[in-house]
Amino acid sequence: MATGADQVAGMSLVCFSLVLFTYYTVWVIVLPFVDSDHVIHTFFLPREYSVILPGMAALILILCVGLFIGVVTWKNRKPKKVD
Amino acid sequence: MTKLLEWLLGVSVVVTAWGLLTFDLLDLKVPQVYREVVWPMPVYLLVVFGCYSIATVGYRVATFNDCEEAAQELQAQIKEAKLDLKKKGLKF
Repeated sequence: MATGADQVAGMSLVCFSLVLFTYYTVWVIVLPFVDSDHVIHTFFLPREYSVILPGMAALILILCVGLFIGVVTWKNRKPKKVD
Repeated sequence: MTKLLEWLLGVSVVVTAWGLLTFDLLDLKVPQVYREVVWPMPVYLLVVFGCYSIATVGYRVATFNDCEEAAQELQAQIKEAKLDLKKKGLKF
């Protein structure tokens, strides 16, 4: 078995993804079937955000990846040889 | 039929079904509740796939066995390789 920090990191990733999955599933699939005056609706944003937020997150991710590639390419550019 | 064609066929069938239900192109008069569930489906499936990926990576990080001898052997091989390359003129 892995030890120490590896186990903590791995288990926290698993827990985070479980929480995210449960929250998102309730938001997208369960809420439409619940009466609109039930108290659970106060824990969730309006449904439009269930598409907008992941979309924004994906855009930011792609931006970060592109930025990283740009920075690394910029750092590795070689000056032109002078004969 | 190649795997690529199979996947493309499957994906296009699913996308067509989603499009028909979301934009009501066949006037099927689906109840509003079910339409509310169907239209975020592509984003939902992506998020679920992302969650599954994170969970798999996390679980495998947590359960991967430490290989003490392999780690030491690898460190020794790295030192050996660095020495060898320095001799041949490569600068680190």
